[in-house]
Amino acid sequence: MDVKYINPFIQGLLDVVSMLGMTSMTRTGLAKKAYLQTENEVNIIIGLTGEVKGNIVFSMPEATAKNIASAMMAGVPVEKLDLIPKSALCELANMIAGNSASKLEGLGLRFNVTPPTLITGKNLLALISQVETLVINFTGDQGPLEMNVALEM
Amino acid sequence: MSSTTYIVPFIKAVASVFKDMLGIVVTRGEPVDEGEGFESQGFAVIVGFTGGWRGRFFLDMPPATAIKVAGILTGEEYDSATHEEVLLCGAEIGNVVCGNAITAVNDAYPGLGIRLTPPSVFVGEGFSMFNVRLSSYSVMMQTDAGPLKINVAVEEGKR
Repeated sequence: MDVKYINPFIQGLLDVVSMLGMTSMTRTGLAKKAYLQTENEVNIIIGLTGEVKGNIVFSMPEATAKNIASAMMAGVPVEKLDLIPKSALCELANMIAGNSASKLEGLGLRFNVTPPTLITGKNLLALISQVETLVINFTGDQGPLEMNVALEM
Repeated sequence: MSSTTYIVPFIKAVASVFKDMLGIVVTRGEPVDEGEGFESQGFAVIVGFTGGWRGRFFLDMPPATAIKVAGILTGEEYDSATHEEVLLCGAEIGNVVCGNAITAVNDAYPGLGIRLTPPSVFVGEGFSMFNVRLSSYSVMMQTDAGPLKINVAVEEGKR
């Protein structure tokens, strides 16, 4: 996968979180994995179809998820990941996918996104797609966060 | 189109794919409205779709069932559902089921143009799925290889 197609996703995430007031978020790493094996309890999957086809999974510990949800809700503390924080996190994934999509359109690539699904659990193993997964690490005041990108293009 | 309509093509596809590819006979239950999410039995194959229908399909089963299904496909025995071949077999079954279901729907409703994402597989204990703003229906099926739950979650307001 050409790096020029990854940058829109990285920048999409950074632009969206910054717009939501989480300006300390930075990218800390990039690696490849055959599949995602995560200790992170909160994972949000969004699928892509069209000229870019695959899945993206945002993966984070529960603490980061609560902090991000809180930041999205004007700092209201989030004690538990119930319906409203979960909806906020799904909306974040949606916004990042949308932002990345418009950047990729600028590179001449069109795709559609599925609605997000949030998966919570401990010690998950996930095969995100049948191509290898690019793991992009971010961290900020809210905690660590991963964006796992598995695309066929 | 009523919400249970979305799940019917998938019920048919699961029954025929399991019978033709695996020799497993599936008996079906009734659709159940699960609201916004459900708990997995431990092994979930997930396929998304866009176009005229936007949403996600889940094929969910206990790990033991996934191991049996993979064993039928490859002829091997596996001691864990986390084995790469079990994951890949799960993904393939999910792919074929969705391919069949969506082909039938696209043929029946020209212009819907539904497209599928590649399948994903999640394995773990005590994990659950939440879909925001999607209405979700499950059907629990029984088979010789164990129970199978299928869930289809589609965005409301679409055809």
